[in-house]
Amino acid sequence: MEKKKILLIIPAYNEEENILNTYQSIINYNKKNKTNYDCIVINDGSTDHTSQICHENHIPVIDLVHNLGIGGAVQTGYKYAYENHYEIAVQLDGDGQHDVNYVQKIIEPILSNESDMVIGSRFIEQIDTFQSTRARRVGIRMISNLIKLVTGKRIMDTTSGFRAVNKEIISLFQESYPLEYPEPLTTTELLKRKYKVKEVSVEMNEREGGVSSIRRWKSIYYMVNVILSLMIIGLRRYPKCR
Amino acid sequence: MPLSLRIFVITFACLLTLITIRMLVKQKIPAKYSLIWLTISIIILLVGAVPNFVTSISKILGFEVMSNMIIGIILVLMVFITMALTVMIANQKKKTTLLIQELSILQKKVEDLEKK
Repeated sequence: MEKKKILLIIPAYNEEENILNTYQSIINYNKKNKTNYDCIVINDGSTDHTSQICHENHIPVIDLVHNLGIGGAVQTGYKYAYENHYEIAVQLDGDGQHDVNYVQKIIEPILSNESDMVIGSRFIEQIDTFQSTRARRVGIRMISNLIKLVTGKRIMDTTSGFRAVNKEIISLFQESYPLEYPEPLTTTELLKRKYKVKEVSVEMNEREGGVSSIRRWKSIYYMVNVILSLMIIGLRRYPKCR
Repeated sequence: MPLSLRIFVITFACLLTLITIRMLVKQKIPAKYSLIWLTISIIILLVGAVPNFVTSISKILGFEVMSNMIIGIILVLMVFITMALTVMIANQKKKTTLLIQELSILQKKVEDLEKK
């Protein structure tokens, strides 16, 4: 089988501590497994030394001239993938949460033309096995139920940013991509357009962090926004693609 | 309508017109966006100039007091203007996002070329 052009899109905002490790893990992986993963760091207007570190170590990087937020940054990666004729694009966070060793598992269903998008999920059978706060599990379950209601398909890990897409979806994403809450929204949109989305289980290195009251309000705000957006997607009529 | 209030209303309308024209002259806003404000100041001017006419209209429409109608009209107008502004901001955001993305990609391309 000929090798497909594969791009890892790494959005990074103030990741000076992790970005070099992430890059090196990809290089090492390529060497060890004779793979040809290219990568591109999208530096989303970091205020630390992320850009400097990338340039010093010859890490391919696009420095956004202004901070765009996760959606705009990732879309830049898709635009880059599209322009450079990549056949598969994989989103991989620059903070060390996502392990490059799982990339192969994630792109497998795309290589075999089984799926258009594959989500690396922390849980695919039971949300309850997911080690997190109760509130977060309830939130994820709510979004998951709503997606099921809107599309008829069950997606477990709706907020995972570890995803791979094929060429057709790259072209779709470079054209339009939500600036906010991109993960659940794009998944739902693709499902509504009858694209094949699959989840494979991966392990992620969870980031530490307590829940402050500010974050609690933020997550309520997040939930309201996502629920509203999902319902709007439910109302939309998409042209049949399949 | 007491004379003092009429003077106030007319002054306000004139001031609004002047501010709008000033912004136009200084090229702070295009003519397109000034139209709504000029129209509003003319309406306010009318209220101050011929209050009897406005009072009779409000009576016909069933308002107890003329000022209620004015406030009502302004409220409805403001809601629509704000909505239009929301749409405009969203469009601006789309454009700046696209610009930032394309510019940044271009910058990367130039850097790559310079290295060669």
